Amino acid sequence: MWRYLGKRLLVSVGTVAGIVVVVFFIMRVLPGDAAAVRAGPYASEEKLEQIRDQFGLNDPMPVQFVDYLRDVITGDLGTSIRTGGEVTGELLHRLPASLELAFYSVLLAALFGIPMGILAAWRRDTWIDRAARVIAVLGSSMAFFWLGLILTFVFFFKLGWFPGPVGRLAITTQSPDTITGFFTFDAALGGNWSLMWEAFRYLALPALTVGFVLSAPILKIVRSSMIEVLDSEYVRTARAFGVPRRQVLFRDGFRNALVPVTTAIGIIFGYMLGGNIIVELIFAWPGVGRYAYEALRVSDLEALQGFVIMVGLLYILLNVVIDFVYSWVDPRIRLGQRVVV
Amino acid sequence: MRNTRPWLLRRKGMTILLGLVLVAGGCGGDAPDSTAITATTAAAQEATTTAAPEAPTTTAAEPVEEEAAPTTTEAMVEKPLIVASLADTPNLIELHTFRTTSAYAVTNAVYEPLIKQILEEQPNGLLQGSFVDHVGAGAESFDIQETADGGFLATFNIRQGQTFADGTAVTANDYKYVFDRSIEGPGYIGLLLPFVGISSTDQIRVIDDYTFEVETTVQSPLFRRFLTFQVFGAMNRAEAEANATEDDPWAFAYYNDKGGGSGPYYVAKFDPDNEVVLEPNPGYWNAGNLANAGVIIKPIPDANEKTRLVSAGEIDVATGIPPKLLAVLEDDPNVTIWASQTTGVHYLAMNQTIAPLDNVDLRRAIVHSVPYQALIDNVMFGFASPAKGVVTSNMETHDASIGAGFAQDLDAARKYLEASGVGDLTLVLGVRESRLGDQEAAVLIQDALRQVGVAVDVQILPDGDFSARINANELPLFIHDWFSWGEDPFYQMKFLTTCGQFVNYARFCDEAYDALVQEGTFTTDPEVRGDVSSRAQQIFFDQAVWAPLWSSDRTAVTHKCVTGVVQDYTRIPVFTQMSKIPDC
Repeated sequence: MWRYLGKRLLVSVGTVAGIVVVVFFIMRVLPGDAAAVRAGPYASEEKLEQIRDQFGLNDPMPVQFVDYLRDVITGDLGTSIRTGGEVTGELLHRLPASLELAFYSVLLAALFGIPMGILAAWRRDTWIDRAARVIAVLGSSMAFFWLGLILTFVFFFKLGWFPGPVGRLAITTQSPDTITGFFTFDAALGGNWSLMWEAFRYLALPALTVGFVLSAPILKIVRSSMIEVLDSEYVRTARAFGVPRRQVLFRDGFRNALVPVTTAIGIIFGYMLGGNIIVELIFAWPGVGRYAYEALRVSDLEALQGFVIMVGLLYILLNVVIDFVYSWVDPRIRLGQRVVV
Repeated sequence: MRNTRPWLLRRKGMTILLGLVLVAGGCGGDAPDSTAITATTAAAQEATTTAAPEAPTTTAAEPVEEEAAPTTTEAMVEKPLIVASLADTPNLIELHTFRTTSAYAVTNAVYEPLIKQILEEQPNGLLQGSFVDHVGAGAESFDIQETADGGFLATFNIRQGQTFADGTAVTANDYKYVFDRSIEGPGYIGLLLPFVGISSTDQIRVIDDYTFEVETTVQSPLFRRFLTFQVFGAMNRAEAEANATEDDPWAFAYYNDKGGGSGPYYVAKFDPDNEVVLEPNPGYWNAGNLANAGVIIKPIPDANEKTRLVSAGEIDVATGIPPKLLAVLEDDPNVTIWASQTTGVHYLAMNQTIAPLDNVDLRRAIVHSVPYQALIDNVMFGFASPAKGVVTSNMETHDASIGAGFAQDLDAARKYLEASGVGDLTLVLGVRESRLGDQEAAVLIQDALRQVGVAVDVQILPDGDFSARINANELPLFIHDWFSWGEDPFYQMKFLTTCGQFVNYARFCDEAYDALVQEGTFTTDPEVRGDVSSRAQQIFFDQAVWAPLWSSDRTAVTHKCVTGVVQDYTRIPVFTQMSKIPDC
């Protein structure tokens, strides 16, 4: 295990270095002039030069790169030209909102997609299977923005069942004291159950929007993995020996299908780590996706770089976690060991 | 032998799922034409709505005195909290740094200038800022005299007893500080001050703690209006100096997320993507007469959702609503649309340093091809008036006889195109990604130009890229817009169309024109201003500098129960008068 972690750390350092280098150079070839946006319409060429000097944009590329590397190593992701604030702090301030939305969206997607996929595989070619496939196609082809707008129109504006898309809590509600950054957890940890309920209500529509779309790939992969496993000889043998149906389905079948399912959920969660820009815009969700969108719009390079690096780091961390989960769901997979049979 | 099965399964799963997730992401990642979607959903609403009620009316425009508001303790208890969602997200609130529109709204609420516009109630209930009548604000009284040197000497008696939110008394030194900071600090305001004849801190004098003088070198008709701008609101000198550093002697970084003014509100919370909370400043000179108990600015990026929230009463006021949505909202009985004409200008610029646009006949052909009325009807849905020149149709000194020439006449356009001798032409027309209206206008212009034989390649560019390319003279045609605080014709002409100005993106340069603008800028005689303005407008038309597309209305959408909407000559939202009808 320690050997595995050491190796993984080495690989991660290399990956992060690669991300840092690639991100730096990609950002430099992006079109746009953040200094002009910051300076505004009254700017003179002198003023623009002053801003470029202030943010180091006039330095030669190698100098910019060395400064950038030095700062990144110390955890300083630079200063946003749009807000004038420290990018590291601004990202960390917004990250919990995106992670909370990602967590509940993936949870919803898994809670719906996994049972539905198992059921579809078990009742293959019945109406249940056909319904599951229709849902999967709908989810795969549904655009986040369209579903989000429809859900708010119907459930907020017309029926009034859910609150409006104003962010994580009602406009006049004070947020809970920060412990984890997840409002639902923090409210619960503080014993404020009404606030926790409110946080869940505001999470509901964005999480449903994302969760429904993300449930489609989970449903499909669970269904296909389960079909493969249920068609295998050992399952057929178990059934021939009269092993109870539930045991065949969950112990012999689903357990063996869990590796690709874990992979699916891991990839989906990784995809959500950077926030979902469209959903965050529609629901006024104050997450990192919206921050990146605003930065991209005005060519705020430091903010964009910081965002990409942060997402890269989170993705690496997530992959390590997934590797541990593999070894848990399938004991044949041993971290850091070559298995010889 | 390696146990390969789980590994293969994992790889297979990864590959399949990566593809699936990318497909799902692609579906969700397309930029939506959100306005089009709302048009559909709002049309569905139409069946269940009735006609919108008329806004409360009065018979004549009357000055509104802030002192007229209720002052009893009971009334103060009942004051409502106002929730506003503005055109964009506040980015920073440093007073002298260029920032987003909603950030200007925050600073407008936090900083108190020396004087302010008198508000006049319009027949529809709108409180319109006067162009000519001003009243003391941070200054209790003021006096402006002409000097023997051809300038103005303005003397202000600062109100005693007013304080910043931290309790520090406001004195003349705080006003001196903000002017000095404008002139010598790294912000952009110093570039504007020469326009009213201020270029040195020596012109700003503290006589005693409560008496303050400003002396100008010229007599600009804009001087009084300049003094009403938030950027000259008192700034807490002691706080600013305590937070200055060697690298940042004017404490710009400190104020990026803090307010340091003596205005009606102070910034209680600045969490820009989430909310900005403005609470009443107890030391504000007119605190008892604020019509509300504070303001929460809530950025709602999606205009469709924003309008639904206003209709549902969760948000009291929204700005930055696209005209297409405004047109749909006209049928919503739960909202009131407040609109008033402005002198701002949306224009199709033709960069004269890029061939073949250095050919005046080609520019004239383009000017006569543009479908001006169609743009107002189909892009602005009537929430605009014809611009008709750089001195727009609602602006003082506008010459309607010259402005009438900015009309679509395809036969004339073809003749000019023939005279230009330019054939087989394709021009790039750049528009900003964030401006849906500009993109729609570009398509209509593209179609009109195609009819006279000019092909147009419309390019939708990220805002940063757009700015970079117009600054670098890389876009031959582009749609831009401008609004002059103070709405003065010569200020507008000076910045947009005189030689060497940074924002003269068309790079038009004509010495005779510049001389006329210079003459009009520093004269207060209305006849002279009218005459030189007309002559300048004629040159602008003859040289076909731009195609002036439209003047956007100032618009705000409020819930039907909201009153006290103010629209002044800066177009920045004002919250002090905003309230709600009880039990509405």
